[in-house]
Amino acid sequence: MNRTRQPTDWKGAAFRRRTRRRYAAERRFRLLGLAAVWLSAGFLAFLLASMLWQGASGFRQTRVALPIDLAAARLAVTPAQLRGRGADLALAGAGLEGVVDRAATQAYGGAGTDLLSDGAWLVVRDAIKRDPAMLDRRVTIAVPVDSALDVAAKHDGNPQAEATIARLTAQGVLTTGWNLGFLTAADSTDPTRVGIWGAFKGSLLTMAVTIGLAFPIGVLAALYLEEYAPRNRWTDLIEVSINNLAAVPSIIFGLLGLAVFLGTFHLPRSAPLVGGLTLALMTMPVIVIAGRNAIKAVPPSIRDAALAVGASPVQVVFDHVLPLALPGILTGTIIGMARALGETAPLLMIGMRAFIAAPPSRLTDPATVLPVQIFLWSDDVDRGFVEKTSAAIIVLLVFLLAMNGLAIYLRNRFETRW
Amino acid sequence: MTHKISAKDVSVFYGAKQAIDHVSIDVDQDNVVAFIGPSGCGKSTFLRTLNRMNDTVASARVTGEILLDGEDIYAPSMDVVQLRARVGMVFQKPNPFPKSIYENVAYGPRIHGLATARADLDLMVEQSLRRAGLWDEVKDRLSDSGTALSGGQQQRLCIARAIAVDPEVILMDEPCSALDPIATAKIEELIHGLKGRYAIVIVTHNMQQAARVSQQTAFFHLGQLVEFGRTGDIFTNPREERTRDYITGRYG
Repeated sequence: MNRTRQPTDWKGAAFRRRTRRRYAAERRFRLLGLAAVWLSAGFLAFLLASMLWQGASGFRQTRVALPIDLAAARLAVTPAQLRGRGADLALAGAGLEGVVDRAATQAYGGAGTDLLSDGAWLVVRDAIKRDPAMLDRRVTIAVPVDSALDVAAKHDGNPQAEATIARLTAQGVLTTGWNLGFLTAADSTDPTRVGIWGAFKGSLLTMAVTIGLAFPIGVLAALYLEEYAPRNRWTDLIEVSINNLAAVPSIIFGLLGLAVFLGTFHLPRSAPLVGGLTLALMTMPVIVIAGRNAIKAVPPSIRDAALAVGASPVQVVFDHVLPLALPGILTGTIIGMARALGETAPLLMIGMRAFIAAPPSRLTDPATVLPVQIFLWSDDVDRGFVEKTSAAIIVLLVFLLAMNGLAIYLRNRFETRW
Repeated sequence: MTHKISAKDVSVFYGAKQAIDHVSIDVDQDNVVAFIGPSGCGKSTFLRTLNRMNDTVASARVTGEILLDGEDIYAPSMDVVQLRARVGMVFQKPNPFPKSIYENVAYGPRIHGLATARADLDLMVEQSLRRAGLWDEVKDRLSDSGTALSGGQQQRLCIARAIAVDPEVILMDEPCSALDPIATAKIEELIHGLKGRYAIVIVTHNMQQAARVSQQTAFFHLGQLVEFGRTGDIFTNPREERTRDYITGRYG
């Protein structure tokens, strides 16, 4: 063993080749990463663009001008009846729907009533409520057209409807406007009358129940497990169970909700309360896991510091550990809540897929939620529901973005710079 | 005369491992006591038994008796929270709360209800910061974060935080090991100033520091208290061979 080691030739060809290869590997890796980012950004942009493209028309509505002689119709309503809550009932009782149908026949011939949406007379009703003086006049009101015509006007209808639209366009009686009813109404069988408000409110109530239960229980469970629980077989078992719960398919939680909340406790079917409870079961493990990780990440030196000035364990937790862990806990909560908001399967099991034509006003009212509403509309045979489905998806995404935005704002507010 | 802290036959176990082996030591009210010894000799462990910080380690077990003013601090009747308020602690690494300088100092008095009016609290904060020699440097930015200070300032802030609850004893666990020589000198000066008002126990790796700040020195080795006496005697005329070897740098 008396071979001596040659001095390293740092400038030799072999080293130059090695350096070149290293640079190439570096470049390759960076390009791959960049490609991955662009690809995912591209998919996201495509998704959003196609949603907006298809859904935007769901917020628009085709209307036809309907001349209507309200003075001649002699509706049996007094101006006093038109003020206050009884107005809708008074106008319906006075036969306004028939008046509108006759006006349509008069203006557009025998098939005139087929041009109008079933909800056309409601538009006339609302116009009268806004301006009771028109009862003594001959007025022209733009009312929504029938769904098939609406679809045709948006260049997607059947030939017959397209022809009708072409005729009406030539007469110059068609207009388009914002469909505000889509944001204020609930589900309906007629696509021109459907609205997202019922499902939106259902989602809102359900999410309120979910976060109201899952957040405090999840955070307290995480705090107890991290700060107080002894390390033994039982806590290990609990930890494994929680990790497994976070991975259980959501439909199983639906079955659990069906069996426990509906079967055992006899809570009302289709209610946001039950939906919220079921989703809370699903969200809690996510919050517990994120919470435990965030609590674990709080430096022990802070706990020592607080203990050493004589803080009790509860004071250590609530004055120091929790505030420092909160950003991490909120991140987990965002993930859990976003998942819960988009969840459909478990809610089908507890009956939130029913046709519900009135927005819920209490936690125990029958309701549906946005993703289930989207699922129901996407299943409908009527062509008019296609754009409504996309429009509902836009509303769901906006809701999701608003919720996440709020959570991220909160997280940044609580974030501590070290 | 009664001692402020009197430890008798104290042993500490981590699980099956014995970290401290039958140590007895007395700390007097107006003294600074230094614990010296090689790394892993148990001096920090012993320090942490004096305010029961070892309670937070699940496997730790303490036997023997530690009296604070004649009262057994491991007795079931002893309130740990109050004990830790009476026996304050400063750690190796400066660990201010990620809150404002004011809040760092005010936290202790606030949780113990020592101040009822805002003015009282302001006074306590100012007094503590003055005693910690930090007031002039931070008086204009009390609402800045405590973590924004320099390392030496952070450590003095931690001392101010400990002083603010008006303890009787202050334990310091290598308070200067993360600091530069200038900051170290400031802390040592501070310890001189605090002497007499508080009984101080300081763990240090730096023997010059022990010689400079303390009146009594305890030399630990392998979990045992080898020698305990007046600092002058330990450094000039140790009784034990092991002490002499350590002080002269033969090991450690």
